Amino acid sequence: MSLEIVITPEANNGKRILIEGSLDSNTSSNLQQSIDANINNSVKTTILDFEKLEFLSSAGLRVIFKVKKRMENNGGKFLMVNLQPQIIKVFEIIKAIDSMSIFKDQAELDAYLKVIQDKVIDGE
Amino acid sequence: MQNKQTISLQNKISNSVKLSEFFAECAKEYEISTDIYNDLRLVIEETFVNIASYAFAQEDSHTVTVEAKRTPDKISITFTDDGIAFNPLTDPTGFKDTDDHCEGGMGIRIITSLTDYQEYNRIGKTNVFTVTKYYTKPDNTLK
Repeated sequence: MSLEIVITPEANNGKRILIEGSLDSNTSSNLQQSIDANINNSVKTTILDFEKLEFLSSAGLRVIFKVKKRMENNGGKFLMVNLQPQIIKVFEIIKAIDSMSIFKDQAELDAYLKVIQDKVIDGE
Repeated sequence: MQNKQTISLQNKISNSVKLSEFFAECAKEYEISTDIYNDLRLVIEETFVNIASYAFAQEDSHTVTVEAKRTPDKISITFTDDGIAFNPLTDPTGFKDTDDHCEGGMGIRIITSLTDYQEYNRIGKTNVFTVTKYYTKPDNTLK
Protein backbone atom coordinates (compact mmCIF):
# COMPACT_ATOMS: atom_id res chain seq x y z
CA MET A 1 0.00 0.00 0.00
CA SER A 2 1.29 3.44 -0.87
CA LEU A 3 1.30 6.71 1.05
CA GLU A 4 -0.42 9.84 -0.21
CA ILE A 5 0.68 13.14 1.32
CA VAL A 6 -1.20 16.42 1.00
CA ILE A 7 0.19 19.52 2.71
CA THR A 8 -2.05 22.57 3.04
CA PRO A 9 -1.66 25.93 4.80
CA GLU A 10 -3.42 26.62 8.09
CA ALA A 11 -4.03 29.89 9.92
CA ASN A 12 -1.21 31.64 11.78
CA ASN A 13 1.74 30.13 9.93
CA GLY A 14 0.46 26.61 10.29
CA LYS A 15 0.64 23.58 8.02
CA ARG A 16 -1.57 20.53 7.85
CA ILE A 17 -0.12 17.25 6.62
CA LEU A 18 -2.82 14.80 5.56
CA ILE A 19 -1.43 11.29 5.22
CA GLU A 20 -3.36 8.49 3.53
CA GLY A 21 -2.55 4.80 3.23
CA SER A 22 0.46 3.18 4.86
CA LEU A 23 3.30 4.91 6.71
CA ASP A 24 5.90 2.16 6.87
CA SER A 25 9.49 1.23 6.02
CA ASN A 26 8.85 1.75 2.31
CA THR A 27 6.99 5.06 2.52
CA SER A 28 8.40 6.87 5.56
CA SER A 29 11.18 8.47 3.49
CA ASN A 30 8.53 10.08 1.26
CA LEU A 31 6.98 11.75 4.29
CA GLN A 32 10.38 12.85 5.53
CA GLN A 33 11.16 14.46 2.17
CA SER A 34 7.80 16.26 2.09
CA ILE A 35 8.35 17.57 5.61
CA ASP A 36 11.87 18.73 4.81
CA ALA A 37 10.57 20.58 1.75
CA ASN A 38 7.53 22.18 3.39
CA ILE A 39 8.06 22.58 7.12
CA ASN A 40 10.67 25.27 7.66
CA ASN A 41 11.43 27.41 10.70
CA SER A 42 8.66 29.89 9.84
CA VAL A 43 5.99 27.23 10.43
CA LYS A 44 4.62 27.67 13.94
CA THR A 45 2.11 24.83 14.02
CA THR A 46 2.23 21.49 12.23
CA ILE A 47 -0.94 19.40 12.25
CA LEU A 48 -0.56 15.76 11.24
CA ASP A 49 -3.96 14.50 10.10
CA PHE A 50 -4.32 10.70 10.39
CA GLU A 51 -7.92 10.45 9.17
CA LYS A 52 -7.02 8.30 6.17
CA LEU A 53 -3.97 6.52 7.56
CA GLU A 54 -4.56 2.78 7.82
CA PHE A 55 -1.15 1.46 8.84
CA LEU A 56 1.75 2.80 10.90
CA SER A 57 5.02 1.03 11.67
CA SER A 58 8.09 2.01 13.70
CA ALA A 59 9.74 3.47 10.59
CA GLY A 60 6.85 5.91 10.33
CA LEU A 61 6.97 6.63 14.05
CA ARG A 62 10.58 7.74 13.72
CA VAL A 63 9.62 10.37 11.13
CA ILE A 64 6.77 11.59 13.34
CA PHE A 65 9.00 11.95 16.40
CA LYS A 66 11.62 13.71 14.31
CA VAL A 67 9.23 16.39 13.08
CA LYS A 68 7.79 16.74 16.59
CA LYS A 69 11.26 17.38 17.96
CA ARG A 70 12.04 19.82 15.16
CA MET A 71 8.86 21.82 15.84
CA GLU A 72 9.47 21.92 19.58
CA ASN A 73 13.10 22.95 19.14
CA ASN A 74 11.86 25.89 17.05
CA GLY A 75 9.28 26.88 19.66
CA GLY A 76 6.41 25.59 17.54
CA LYS A 77 3.61 23.12 18.12
CA PHE A 78 3.13 19.62 16.74
CA LEU A 79 -0.46 18.38 16.87
CA MET A 80 -2.03 15.10 15.75
CA VAL A 81 -5.70 14.62 14.87
CA ASN A 82 -8.17 11.96 13.69
CA LEU A 83 -6.15 8.89 14.73
CA GLN A 84 -7.89 5.61 13.97
CA PRO A 85 -8.02 2.95 16.73
CA GLN A 86 -5.28 0.77 15.19
CA ILE A 87 -3.00 3.82 15.00
CA ILE A 88 -3.68 4.88 18.59
CA LYS A 89 -2.83 1.34 19.65
CA VAL A 90 0.68 1.71 18.19
CA PHE A 91 1.30 4.90 20.17
CA GLU A 92 -0.02 3.17 23.28
CA ILE A 93 2.35 0.23 22.83
CA ILE A 94 5.41 2.45 22.76
CA LYS A 95 3.97 4.50 25.64
CA ALA A 96 4.03 7.75 23.69
CA ILE A 97 0.43 8.85 24.19
CA ASP A 98 1.19 11.15 27.11
CA SER A 99 4.00 12.94 25.32
CA MET A 100 1.96 13.75 22.21
CA SER A 101 -0.72 16.40 21.61
CA ILE A 102 -3.53 14.24 20.25
CA PHE A 103 -7.02 15.46 19.30
CA LYS A 104 -9.76 12.95 18.61
CA ASP A 105 -11.37 14.97 15.84
CA GLN A 106 -11.37 18.31 14.03
CA ALA A 107 -13.87 19.88 16.44
CA GLU A 108 -11.61 19.18 19.41
CA LEU A 109 -8.63 20.54 17.51
CA ASP A 110 -10.55 23.67 16.45
CA ALA A 111 -11.48 24.36 20.07
CA TYR A 112 -7.83 24.12 21.08
CA LEU A 113 -6.64 26.33 18.23
CA LYS A 114 -9.29 28.94 19.09
CA VAL A 115 -7.96 29.18 22.63
CA ILE A 116 -4.44 29.66 21.29
CA GLN A 117 -5.62 32.28 18.81
CA ASP A 118 -7.58 34.16 21.47
CA LYS A 119 -4.48 34.29 23.64
CA VAL A 120 -2.53 35.80 20.75
CA ILE A 121 -5.26 38.39 20.14
CA ASP A 122 -5.34 39.26 23.84
CA GLY A 123 -1.59 39.73 23.74
CA GLU A 124 -0.80 37.03 26.29
CA MET B 1 -8.73 -24.45 3.46
CA GLN B 2 -4.96 -24.67 3.61
CA ASN B 3 -3.65 -24.29 7.13
CA LYS B 4 -0.10 -23.48 6.18
CA GLN B 5 1.15 -21.04 3.55
CA THR B 6 4.69 -20.02 2.71
CA ILE B 7 6.44 -17.26 0.79
CA SER B 8 10.14 -16.83 0.04
CA LEU B 9 11.52 -13.32 -0.42
CA GLN B 10 14.85 -11.75 -1.15
CA ASN B 11 16.30 -9.88 1.83
CA LYS B 12 15.28 -6.42 0.65
CA ILE B 13 13.26 -4.15 2.92
CA SER B 14 11.08 -3.20 -0.05
CA ASN B 15 9.85 -6.81 -0.13
CA SER B 16 7.82 -6.11 3.00
CA VAL B 17 5.15 -4.94 0.55
CA LYS B 18 4.97 -8.43 -1.03
CA LEU B 19 4.96 -9.96 2.42
CA SER B 20 2.08 -7.76 3.47
CA GLU B 21 0.10 -8.78 0.38
CA PHE B 22 0.85 -12.44 1.10
CA PHE B 23 -0.41 -12.11 4.65
CA ALA B 24 -3.56 -10.30 3.52
CA GLU B 25 -4.37 -13.36 1.39
CA CYS B 26 -3.63 -15.67 4.32
CA ALA B 27 -5.92 -13.61 6.54
CA LYS B 28 -8.80 -14.00 4.11
CA GLU B 29 -8.17 -17.71 3.78
CA TYR B 30 -7.89 -18.20 7.52
CA GLU B 31 -10.89 -15.93 8.26
CA ILE B 32 -9.10 -14.16 11.05
CA SER B 33 -10.56 -11.05 12.67
CA THR B 34 -9.57 -7.61 11.47
CA ASP B 35 -8.02 -6.84 14.86
CA ILE B 36 -5.73 -9.87 14.77
CA TYR B 37 -4.92 -9.21 11.12
CA ASN B 38 -3.91 -5.60 11.89
CA ASP B 39 -1.75 -6.73 14.82
CA LEU B 40 0.02 -9.47 12.88
CA ARG B 41 0.47 -7.35 9.77
CA LEU B 42 2.43 -4.89 11.89
CA VAL B 43 4.40 -7.65 13.64
CA ILE B 44 5.34 -9.17 10.29
CA GLU B 45 6.50 -5.83 8.90
CA GLU B 46 8.62 -5.10 11.98
CA THR B 47 10.16 -8.57 12.06
CA PHE B 48 10.95 -8.75 8.35
CA VAL B 49 12.49 -5.27 8.29
CA ASN B 50 14.61 -6.14 11.33
CA ILE B 51 15.86 -9.34 9.69
CA ALA B 52 16.51 -7.70 6.32
CA SER B 53 18.33 -4.84 8.04
CA TYR B 54 20.58 -6.77 10.41
CA ALA B 55 20.88 -10.47 9.60
CA PHE B 56 22.96 -10.07 6.46
CA ALA B 57 26.09 -8.35 5.27
CA GLN B 58 25.26 -5.45 2.97
CA GLU B 59 24.86 -6.31 -0.72
CA ASP B 60 24.54 -10.01 0.05
CA SER B 61 21.50 -11.59 -1.56
CA HIS B 62 19.71 -14.10 0.63
CA THR B 63 16.27 -15.56 1.00
CA VAL B 64 13.93 -15.10 3.93
CA THR B 65 11.15 -17.67 4.10
CA VAL B 66 7.97 -16.81 5.94
CA GLU B 67 5.41 -19.43 6.91
CA ALA B 68 1.96 -18.55 8.21
CA LYS B 69 0.36 -21.49 9.98
CA ARG B 70 -3.10 -21.68 11.42
CA THR B 71 -4.25 -24.17 14.02
CA PRO B 72 -7.65 -24.18 15.74
CA ASP B 73 -6.47 -21.98 18.59
CA LYS B 74 -3.65 -19.85 17.20
CA ILE B 75 -1.70 -18.44 14.28
CA SER B 76 2.06 -18.81 14.10
CA ILE B 77 4.37 -16.93 11.76
CA THR B 78 7.84 -18.40 11.27
CA PHE B 79 10.74 -16.52 9.67
CA THR B 80 13.68 -18.58 8.45
CA ASP B 81 16.91 -17.22 6.97
CA ASP B 82 20.54 -18.17 6.51
CA GLY B 83 22.05 -14.92 7.72
CA ILE B 84 24.39 -14.41 10.64
CA ALA B 85 23.03 -15.45 14.02
CA PHE B 86 20.44 -12.78 14.70
CA ASN B 87 17.50 -12.74 17.06
CA PRO B 88 14.97 -10.16 15.82
CA LEU B 89 14.19 -9.35 19.45
CA THR B 90 17.65 -7.89 19.94
CA ASP B 91 18.23 -4.31 18.86
CA PRO B 92 21.70 -3.81 17.34
CA THR B 93 21.26 -0.04 17.66
CA GLY B 94 20.92 -0.26 21.45
CA PHE B 95 17.53 0.15 23.03
CA LYS B 96 16.97 3.24 25.15
CA ASP B 97 13.62 3.51 26.85
CA THR B 98 13.53 7.28 27.06
CA ASP B 99 11.34 10.09 25.86
CA ASP B 100 13.39 10.14 22.71
CA HIS B 101 11.53 7.52 20.69
CA CYS B 102 13.95 7.86 17.80
CA GLU B 103 16.45 5.72 19.68
CA GLY B 104 15.21 2.42 18.33
CA GLY B 105 13.62 -0.53 20.06
CA MET B 106 10.10 0.45 19.09
CA GLY B 107 9.81 -2.42 16.62
CA ILE B 108 10.77 -4.94 19.28
CA ARG B 109 8.23 -3.53 21.70
CA ILE B 110 5.57 -3.78 19.00
CA ILE B 111 6.44 -7.42 18.25
CA THR B 112 6.38 -8.52 21.88
CA SER B 113 3.25 -6.53 22.72
CA LEU B 114 1.13 -7.77 19.83
CA THR B 115 1.99 -11.47 20.03
CA ASP B 116 1.54 -13.98 22.83
CA TYR B 117 4.72 -15.94 22.32
CA GLN B 118 8.08 -15.44 20.57
CA GLU B 119 10.83 -17.99 20.07
CA TYR B 120 14.24 -17.72 18.42
CA ASN B 121 16.53 -20.63 17.62
CA ARG B 122 19.80 -20.89 15.76
CA ILE B 123 19.66 -24.23 13.99
CA GLY B 124 22.90 -24.99 12.19
CA LYS B 125 23.47 -21.96 9.99
CA THR B 126 19.83 -20.95 10.00
CA ASN B 127 17.88 -18.41 12.04
CA VAL B 128 14.38 -19.57 12.94
CA PHE B 129 12.10 -17.03 14.60
CA THR B 130 8.46 -17.74 15.39
CA VAL B 131 5.76 -15.47 16.75
CA THR B 132 2.42 -16.84 17.90
CA LYS B 133 -0.90 -15.16 18.51
CA TYR B 134 -3.86 -17.01 19.89
CA TYR B 135 -6.91 -17.10 17.66
CA THR B 136 -10.39 -16.12 18.66
CA LYS B 137 -13.45 -16.64 16.55
CA PRO B 138 -13.96 -13.37 14.68
CA ASP B 139 -16.92 -11.06 15.04
CA ASN B 140 -15.73 -8.88 12.18
CA THR B 141 -14.19 -11.20 9.62
CA LEU B 142 -11.89 -9.56 7.10
CA LYS B 143 -13.75 -9.20 3.83
